[in-house]
Amino acid sequence: MPSITVTINGQRQTIEAPPDMPLLWLLRDLVGLSGTKYGCGVGVCGACVVHLDDEPVRACLTPVALVDGRRVTTIEGLSAEHSHPLQQAWLAEDVPQCGYCQSGQIMSAAALLAKNPHPGESEIIAAMENNFCRCGTYQRISRAIRRAAEEAGK
Amino acid sequence: MNDRRVLSRRSFLIVSATAGASVLVGGGIFAYRRLLQRGDEPLAPSTRPDVWVRIDTDNTVTVTVAKSEMGQGVRTSMAMIVAEELDADWSQIRVEQARAHPQYGNQFTGGSESTRQLWAPLRTAAATARQLLVTAAAQTWQVDTTACQTGDGYVVHGATGRRFSYGQLAVAAASLPVPETPPQLKHVADFKLIGTPTARIDNPRVVDGSAVYGLDVRVPGMRYATVARSPVFGGKVASFDATQTKAAAGVLEAVQISTGVAVVGETTWAVMLGRAQLKVTWAEGPNAQLSSESILRDLLAQAQPLELKAPVARTLEAIYTLPYLAHAPMEPMNAVADVRADRCEIWAPTQNPLAARDLVARLLNLPADAVTVNVTLLGGGFGRRLESDYIAEAVEISKAVGAPAQVVWSRDDDMRHDFYRPASQHALRAGLDEAGLPVAWSHNFVTPGISWHVKPWLVASMDLPYTIASVNQDAIIAPQPVPTGTWRSVHRSQTTFASEGFFDELAVAGGVDPLALRLRLAASPRMQRVLAMAAERAGWGGPLPAGSGRGIACLYDYGSFIAQVVELSVADGQIIVRRVVSAADCGIAVNPRTIEAQIEGAVIDGLATALSAEITVQGGQVEQQQLSDYGWLRISAVPRIETYLVPSQEEPGGVGELGYPAIPPAVANAVYAATGKRIRRLPIRLAEAG
Repeated sequence: MPSITVTINGQRQTIEAPPDMPLLWLLRDLVGLSGTKYGCGVGVCGACVVHLDDEPVRACLTPVALVDGRRVTTIEGLSAEHSHPLQQAWLAEDVPQCGYCQSGQIMSAAALLAKNPHPGESEIIAAMENNFCRCGTYQRISRAIRRAAEEAGK
Repeated sequence: MNDRRVLSRRSFLIVSATAGASVLVGGGIFAYRRLLQRGDEPLAPSTRPDVWVRIDTDNTVTVTVAKSEMGQGVRTSMAMIVAEELDADWSQIRVEQARAHPQYGNQFTGGSESTRQLWAPLRTAAATARQLLVTAAAQTWQVDTTACQTGDGYVVHGATGRRFSYGQLAVAAASLPVPETPPQLKHVADFKLIGTPTARIDNPRVVDGSAVYGLDVRVPGMRYATVARSPVFGGKVASFDATQTKAAAGVLEAVQISTGVAVVGETTWAVMLGRAQLKVTWAEGPNAQLSSESILRDLLAQAQPLELKAPVARTLEAIYTLPYLAHAPMEPMNAVADVRADRCEIWAPTQNPLAARDLVARLLNLPADAVTVNVTLLGGGFGRRLESDYIAEAVEISKAVGAPAQVVWSRDDDMRHDFYRPASQHALRAGLDEAGLPVAWSHNFVTPGISWHVKPWLVASMDLPYTIASVNQDAIIAPQPVPTGTWRSVHRSQTTFASEGFFDELAVAGGVDPLALRLRLAASPRMQRVLAMAAERAGWGGPLPAGSGRGIACLYDYGSFIAQVVELSVADGQIIVRRVVSAADCGIAVNPRTIEAQIEGAVIDGLATALSAEITVQGGQVEQQQLSDYGWLRISAVPRIETYLVPSQEEPGGVGELGYPAIPPAVANAVYAATGKRIRRLPIRLAEAG
């Protein structure tokens, strides 16, 4: 079995995995990081969004071969003690219902704020449009992103 | 185990060698056995404190939650009810998910009934625990119990100011007999926690990814499995060739089970790839030509309007039509089973743990108490997870391979092998008197139904929130091969679209404002109040730009009342929903924050199913495979959503389904106000509407 070397949440690891295996299953089944969720496997739902270097990617469409030598950040590595402004805003707005899609929502939003610390409503919608939430927490997601942007600007 | 158990007839005490003393207050397992031996109401939830609450010497209070958490905040609201009656401090509260056990009642998490069902038993259990703590303190101080008060997790002797934390009293309280007569419960006016908007107890673990859903369960030696099922409903495996599958890296086995062919291996990815290489020949059976259009035609042929049983001046008739819907929770179906010769353990995101336990016991021919069902968090439920089909699959696979197994459904599996909200046709007929007011109403509800639902339930789902002199309602159950099940609000999701849309037609025909007619005929002052509140907050009757309209609809069910106003605009054949205002009276609001969230979420469900979502069948198979082609809403379609609660001291009503049924008709009524087109079929296709 070929192996890759990848830095996941700051930890450099060498892992044996088939090169065509999506990053999602490397994280969930081989590394034991289950915060990144499987929702569709074809890049539609956004539940598996992680950061590759600093770009948001869909882990279900990202083959392991592509992450060799690179940095991956998952929801578990976004902050210590859920201290990221978005995680704090998510708690303050009580965003999650079932919560299953929220890792992906937060990782998409974190990538947005990293590039654009004060997004307008249309920029928030453009960044979040491909993250489905079946519980319908969208309004609170927008509110939490605005809150996190405001808090960070203080 | 390092627990030393000391059992007596009246108490059940656990002393843990590592974590200090841990106390189950009250009489435990023996009480349950007695209950079963008596044979009366074995599914009535226990009111014994030890079933629901544990107080540890480190001063934590652990509440056992027996209903499944699927986003409705039940783990928080159940804990709030216990903390309130116990007079505990919220910061000392922890929750533990119950395994399947009849001492908790039926554990069925559906029908918007968790709070209604457990409100009284949880309060009684917690008040009893509080009473035992007070007695323990009073005995230590050698004072009368009436001289002691409780608050914030302490018993206080008022005269001297002495106090004990609950943790300090736990061991002494556990040795006391449980009083024969249930204690006095708090007066509503004395509630401190109930009614206070409270953050969800699980959210810190959700936002850092550590919350455990079914798919996150990992058991030592666990195999992964996925199942190839017949795309055509009712099809069977004729033969299969797994040569390539078994040669694939990481695949261990391919075994035939009741629902198809299971591919078993070392990772989820390996079994998904292995399944793609499987060659299965299906015996498609009699449903290979089935289509949803043909089903709707069959139902329509039976949808005859019913007789009006009072004299009328004018008669109106209409047919309303609804499609199949999928549940499509974000977390696809999955379960882990570990089958051994004499027992079985299950880990599953299930809304129905006790039914799952009994099913597994039957499948394996084991006694029920040899089956352990652990309930994880649910990545959405919406009624889908009341079924146990995916659990049965995990059991069959684990048994076949002799190892713990997790069955994983793909999104496509989940969309195409659901128990769908049934389609329906509704024949409405009503009569107005000379003044234009409805005096006779009839509704014939024709649907494939749900296999375990009997006709009286369908008829009850047509109950109107209005007083109309003569009402004639009936249901025809016309089974079809498409599997059906409970979907958020069940039959109400069908009947309310028909009745609230048609009621609007009557208002227009009678020349009465739709809100005014509802206020006039509303059967309850509580309904009048939510109608008035929703209308007032939404600016009912106020000016709107051309091409815009407001629609209103209401519902009384689950012991709760709701009125909802939708404001939208129509331009170039596109509907844009601008604003949705809901006003609800659900009795005592245990946690207003989760109630508002439930209604907001149900509003999104309502908009999605009004505007775009439907399941269609062609060639005996479901055509949709993803949330995108199913037509679920994305963030860009979300309007301003406002939710208001009417303060109430009535018993708590249900909430989980309350916000759904009135939204699709409110959208349809708003489209009429904006365009003059009457919408009688969902999802809305403006070009086809009259």
